Order: sequence, then C-alpha cells, then structure tokens
Amino acid sequence: MTITDISQRKRFLAQGNVYLPHIAVIERIIDETPGIRTFHFNFKDERLRGEFTFESGQFGEFSVFGVGEAPFCISSSPTRQDHLGFTVQRVGRVTNALHRLAVGAEIGFRGPYGNGFPINNLEGKNLVFVAGGIGLAPLRSLVWNVIDNRAKYRNVDIIYGARSPADLCFKYDLDSWQKDKTVNLFTTVDKGDDKWKGRVGFVPQVLEGVAPSAEGAVAVVCGPPIMIRFTFPVLEKLGFAPEQMLTTLEKRMKCGIGKCGRCNIGNIYVCRDGPVFSYAQIMNLVSSEY
Amino acid sequence: MAGSKKIKKQDLAQLLSQWSQEFSLFVPSRTSGLAEMTEYDGQDISFLGWYRNTIIPPKASFLPHMEEMFSFHRNKQGHQLELPPLEEQKRLIFAIRPCDARALTILDNVFEDTYPDPYYRGRRRRAILVGLGCTNPYDSCFCTSVGSGPSETTGVDIMLTDIGDELVTRGTTKAGEELIAGSGLVKATKADQKRAEQSQEAARQKVTRKVDTRDMASRLQAVFDDRDYWQQIAAKCLSCGICTLLCPTCYCFDINDEGSPEKGTRCRSLDSCAFPVYTKMPMENPRDEKWRRVRNRLCHKYEFYPMLFDTIACTGCGRCIRLCPVNWDITQILEGVPELSQAEGPK
Repeated sequence: MTITDISQRKRFLAQGNVYLPHIAVIERIIDETPGIRTFHFNFKDERLRGEFTFESGQFGEFSVFGVGEAPFCISSSPTRQDHLGFTVQRVGRVTNALHRLAVGAEIGFRGPYGNGFPINNLEGKNLVFVAGGIGLAPLRSLVWNVIDNRAKYRNVDIIYGARSPADLCFKYDLDSWQKDKTVNLFTTVDKGDDKWKGRVGFVPQVLEGVAPSAEGAVAVVCGPPIMIRFTFPVLEKLGFAPEQMLTTLEKRMKCGIGKCGRCNIGNIYVCRDGPVFSYAQIMNLVSSEY
Repeated sequence: MAGSKKIKKQDLAQLLSQWSQEFSLFVPSRTSGLAEMTEYDGQDISFLGWYRNTIIPPKASFLPHMEEMFSFHRNKQGHQLELPPLEEQKRLIFAIRPCDARALTILDNVFEDTYPDPYYRGRRRRAILVGLGCTNPYDSCFCTSVGSGPSETTGVDIMLTDIGDELVTRGTTKAGEELIAGSGLVKATKADQKRAEQSQEAARQKVTRKVDTRDMASRLQAVFDDRDYWQQIAAKCLSCGICTLLCPTCYCFDINDEGSPEKGTRCRSLDSCAFPVYTKMPMENPRDEKWRRVRNRLCHKYEFYPMLFDTIACTGCGRCIRLCPVNWDITQILEGVPELSQAEGPK
C-alpha cells in the first residue's frame, strides 16, 4: 500500500486552517445504553449547514473546549442530512465531558476524515452487516444509506448483538429494521434477562446459523476487536473471500490527517488510509498491530 | 563552485547584524545552558569556537516543543476562536548543520502533504537556511551512511565552508544567491575554493562511523515478526523518549486543551512513540509492550517512511546515540539486522 491519494476528498476548513474546528451545537441527546449516548448536532454556520457532506464510515474530530478532542465516526446517514450524529461511549476524559453536555451546548468539529465505506462497490451486491455493541454506530450510517437507496442493492442481512439487552444501541433503528420487510434483522445478546425473548448467543455463532451466502455478497463487520477476530473465520467458512469482508479499524488519533503519527500500522495511517479496510488489505499490512 | 564568495570570521558579527535587520535571526547559542538555536542578540559569535551541533535540533524553530494552535473564549454569542498572530518577519537560521537542514526536507514531506500544516508551513516557507559545513563531526555522526554528508546542501539556501580564518559562502538556491549578492561579500579566489573543497573532503574522512543501509527496509521486514529479536533489542531502553524528542526528523505530536471551557488554548506539543500512552486507547493499546515501541521507532525511520516518501527518515546526526542515557546505539542495531538470505532477496 502506498500513500493514499486523498487530494479529492471533500474538506471544509475553518478559516483555511486544518486544525481549527467548526463550532457546532448539540440539538438532541439520546441515551442508547447507560454508558452510551448519541448526540445530534448541527453547525452554527448556516452556509456550512448547507454545504457540508460526508460519506458513511467517515469520522470527525469532536472537541469539548477546555477538555480536548477525540475522533468519532459520524453515525447518521448522509442520506438524512436534517441532522448529523455521533455516538459516544463514556470511557475517558473527552467522552466524559461530552456526556456532561446538555442540549444547546457547543462543541468543536473537524472533518470529515477517513475513507468511508466503498459504497459504489456495494451496489448490486448482497449485503451482510455484522455489528456488536457500539460498533453499530458506523454501520447504521451505511444501513440507512442503503435503505434509502434500496433498489441499488440486493439482499440485506443485519446481524447485531450486544452483551445484554440493556447494551443494545439504536433500539429505535432495530425496531424499524424489524418492521422493514426489505431487510432481515437478527438481533442477539450474549446473555439475556427476565424480559428478553429474543436470541441469545455470540454474534459470530448467530452469523454461522444465519449462514448468508457468499455469492455476490459483501460482509461489513464492526464491533469490538474480539468479535471481529471471531467473525472473520466464520465468514471464511461461509465462503467469503478476504476481499469480500470489510471492517473499520480503531486507533488512538489526534490529528485525523496522517501527521501526528500514533494511528500507524506499519506504513499506513488508519485516520488517512482508513478507517475502512478489507480483510485482504489487513492481511497484507506490513505490521500485525491492527 | 562558480560564484562563491567569502567572509572573514571577524566580520561575521557585522553580517549577522545586517541580516538581523531583515530577518528574525537564529544562531547557535548556549545561553540557556543547552546548545540550541536562539534569536541573535547582537555581537556574540563565540559559537564559532565551540559549536559542533546543537542538542535541541533546529526543527524546534518550525515545530516547537509546544505551541498554541488557537485560543478560545466564550461570550454571549458562544465560543469564539482566534488564531495566533502570524509572524511577519522571515526567519534565518544561521549555521544549521547539513544533517539538520536535510531533516527539515524530511519533515516537509509530512507537513506539506495533501492537508498542509498551516503552522509549520507558515514558518518554513518564510525561512532561509544558512548551512555551516562540519569540520569536526562527532564520533556518533553517521551522515555519510544515510545519503547525507558534512557538506551536503539539501535544504540549505546558502552553504558556508570553514577554511580557517574565513568562511566560503555559496548560494544553493535563488533566495540564497540573492541574499549573498546583497550582502557585500568579496569574491572567493580559486585558492579559497580549493581550500573549501579540501576542508569538505577532510570532514568527510572524519565521519568514520559507517552503517550498511542497503536493503534495510526488506531486512527489517524479514525480522519484523520475530518477537524475541525485538525484545532483546529493546531490553535496555528506558522509554524516556529522548531519542525522538531530540531527533531532527521525528515529528509526532499531541493536541491538548489548556484552560477551561470559558477561556483557554488548544496546544500542540511534541509527542513520542516511545511512550506507552502515545497509542493508548481506553480498552486496549496496540504498542503497550516496549519492544513494539522500539520496533516502531526504528522501522518508521528505515522501513515505513521510506515506503511512503522514498527516503530514509534519518540523517545520521547521531543525537540519539550521544544523548541516550543507556547508550542505545541505532548504528549497532542497524548493523545487527540480519542480511537477507539468498532466498529472501531484496523486495
């Protein structure tokens, strides 16, 4: 892999400075789980509201002024530009500060960064979405993107799991996908509770049971590393070639534009060259530190 | 060396004074107790007596250890962001060593890349580099093994060569030639130029530390997954980060906020791949183990960066050897990377 040509990527620089964020306002906060929130936001700058575009799978650097910046994927769909969204698990300094914000609070946004999912290559394909926990955030952007252009794609299977019923994110999406006859949703939890009447089992096992055909298909896998590690072998067993498996990689990032150094895996930078990679690309990386 | 001029060392203070009118002029100094480039304070050219190289590399003039990217404050209209004022005056770095000037061209690749870095670029594009060829390289210098040398002119606008009581000056870029032309220097004679050449050759001979860097990227890749190999190499490293923070080609940085949501600054500071926190995420850390960090540093310079930009990201300045508290010697490590077997061959 040589240096990725990112010259054609859309960029929306504040005052021409790549590190200067745009000011955005939190418009809505949705509690997904006890530790995960989705924030809907929009830019203060009216003109930017009209101009801003992104692709499913791209991310931004979000900041709480006085606390710091952190990267999150945009979890809303580019086909639904009435709001932009990102979904945050409370784990560190910036994420804790984000969770303390109320509607109307201002945040900083730089982006969009990264390559996004190769949406044009998915047209005419059977799509298998496999997600775990908060890993649904980048995928839901793509799923809604696909649903809103449904005629361009063939079968859509969505396999989604979380540790427990309380850990399922985007329950409102799951409800609508359940009712949507054009997609097949398989929701599962690692461990149920008294009220849970659905599937119990790990995502890779459920995937094996659903056994989607690999023919003319692409699988898109997002979730915790442990889930991804166990999902790829199942897909291989089902006949998926490494080129037919996509995932997003996660690394600590600061700049988002391939300069600050830390998200490298050998010679590639996840922020600039990714975060979306095929399993074939990952297997060919010079380093196994993914 | 057509068009070379020269200046007597005793007249240098006058030339520097003249240049300091036009430029923000940086010269080697030890005023802080640490050899570094600092703003010229007037007449002092005593560095000609002690200067071999600075401890803080001149990259600090372009990528400072810490800098404000912008400030913010909150008023009734919400958050207001303000960029720091642009420096109006051009910089002139005087007596930069060839290894360090070349190092800046290595940083240029990163910071001038598709998303140009406004802070670095702003300073860099307005800067003139006046190189001073080495006459007394350190034992730890190995520039001649990595495509550089004690009189290498890559990156400099003017090259100075020490010929005893005088410095032979040569413009190597248009900006450098123009600056010399306007500085009222006298022409160097054929004999001066001959002495400059001899001085350069003599310096080259003094760089005795050699490393064979042929096929180094492939050689490193061949041992890349050998954990025992890297653990042994990393054993004595303290993860102190000195080798990276003082490296003229290391550029990794961190971005952090200072202050409160009401009023503060977003700052950039140098960071180091030697620190575990550099890659730490809440749930995992891909380079938590020291050997992985040591491997990343070495391979970035000799394998990954060359894959991206076709040149080794090391100019052989030797700082990481001289300044390492446990004497971790990059040239020894490179020498020890196994040669490719016939079967492996260069990639």
